[in-house]
Amino acid sequence: MLNLHRLRDQLDTFESHEADTRKRRARQQERAETVLAACDRRWEAVQAAVEEAEPRRLVAALREPPAETHGAPERPSPITVVATDGSQIYPDRHVEPLFFLLNVSRVAVQYGTQEAPLLDAEPRLHFEEALSDHVDEVLRSLTTELVSALRDEMELELLLRTAREAQVEGRPLLALADGTLIRWMIRGMNNEAAEDALIARYTDYLQAFRAEAYPLGSYVSMPATTEVVNLLRFVAGELETSGPALDIEGPAAPVLDGLLDRHVFDTLLDDGERSATFGSTSHIQDAYPSGTEICYFYLRVPSAVGEGEIGRVEVPRWVADDPALLDRMHATVLRECEKGDGYPLVLSEAHERAVIRGPEREGFFRLMERRLRRAGLSPSNSRKRRSKQRPRV
Amino acid sequence: MDESEAIGEVIESSTRQFVAEVYEDASAPAFGTWVQVPDAEGADVYGLISHVETGSYDSNRQAVALGLSADERAEEMPMVQELIRTTVRVQLLACRDREGRLRQTLPPHPPDLHDFVYPCPDEAIQDLGTPADVLRTLVNHPDPAVPADDLLVAALRSVYDAHGGEAGGREALVSAGRALSRLLDDDHERLQSILRRVL
Repeated sequence: MLNLHRLRDQLDTFESHEADTRKRRARQQERAETVLAACDRRWEAVQAAVEEAEPRRLVAALREPPAETHGAPERPSPITVVATDGSQIYPDRHVEPLFFLLNVSRVAVQYGTQEAPLLDAEPRLHFEEALSDHVDEVLRSLTTELVSALRDEMELELLLRTAREAQVEGRPLLALADGTLIRWMIRGMNNEAAEDALIARYTDYLQAFRAEAYPLGSYVSMPATTEVVNLLRFVAGELETSGPALDIEGPAAPVLDGLLDRHVFDTLLDDGERSATFGSTSHIQDAYPSGTEICYFYLRVPSAVGEGEIGRVEVPRWVADDPALLDRMHATVLRECEKGDGYPLVLSEAHERAVIRGPEREGFFRLMERRLRRAGLSPSNSRKRRSKQRPRV
Repeated sequence: MDESEAIGEVIESSTRQFVAEVYEDASAPAFGTWVQVPDAEGADVYGLISHVETGSYDSNRQAVALGLSADERAEEMPMVQELIRTTVRVQLLACRDREGRLRQTLPPHPPDLHDFVYPCPDEAIQDLGTPADVLRTLVNHPDPAVPADDLLVAALRSVYDAHGGEAGGREALVSAGRALSRLLDDDHERLQSILRRVL
């Protein structure tokens, strides 16, 4: 039970805190703008200084003047757009036998034609199986991190397969994933061999996209990344190592701590514009084969209602290096967001197809239980789980 | 029956009525037409389509106005079409047992889920025309969610059509009209309003 009355005072505090944050952020944004402008004028020197200083924080790598903006080109038509998204039933410690389920959707749309779209989802049941020697070890513990990593991998695997199947001779194609392509979350399983194996399998798929020339990108909504802000802080001397002495106009306050990249580009980009393209310096990138390291740009997504938002689009370097492909990515993602009212239409469709709803989940557990019972293998449901399912009066 | 002629499939079923989803490439059957559902053993159930509905497959996703022409919609938002489905509700009125005996009463068992639904051939509708006991069910126990008289109009129209329309349908219609008159306790105004709308 939630007692709303008892929340009143706390909401008052929250409200004034939020007002302060906004005020502070507006001043930070102003300051970020001037630092970015200084950075822009001497970006090559800044990049050289970053490489030399190797700051401990994640700092955006510069590939062009960072304050650059690009207007949206026209999306080609016809064009093939493919997307996948995944969901899962996490392993439940209270249920024997231990297993988990991945459900990954596949969407392929031939825009500008009247050909029927592909809308599909593929479920995969995982239990103790031989994934590989390394991964097996982790699999026995079945952490949610591992399940998520395997889901991401399956999303990329099916995205590649969908691109192959949907490709039409002579028609441009674009493959879109949800979330980041930088697999930093894999580190942290306390098992380096397993982590390496998972990263190797993921980058194999990235390589295949490149080898077969399927432009790949991913969309991150409301990104919480701070790589560009960290670069500005480096330049402004807020980090333990600092950049070259630049001519920064205006006052030296406030510090930029707490600001996000999307706040910086919020003041810089007009509707539909994209920012400069930056390189990721995440350590996990060392494991990515040359050409598939991840680059990214920010995009102002307009919305029919309200303000719209700053989204982040990630692409492998070989896509970022090709201006025509980058334009195709920009134009397509933007058009998708317009049609999907702020979020790419193919990705929201992929999400709808992947999601496992409550009744389907219950249905799956019932089916699993019935099958096991029929085979004389009664599943054991711990008392704790049963009591959660049916609260007593 | 030739399975390629099926117009849809049963997705909810009872002895009183069933709901069928209409196949995408079948043209949606009209309100008030007769359909039949054969079972594996050779028995049939017969009913009248009392409700036709088009909507979203997914109860979590509502259709919204898009402001696009039909061509633009097909080219830029083809996923929308995939979410639309038509369902029909069928009021059960008669059944035929394995020996071929037709009874104008509710079937002993509901049709199975996923059974195929076929449009009734004219001969089957002719058989159902007399002695018009199905009309009694329609008058005395109508589906509360459907205007009873409009369904009667459509039912009489299909009897008329099945008997050849202008070439021979009138006689069947007159005899059904007489039966209806008795069922309506000589409520002439209501009867006339129904008959006026048949032809």
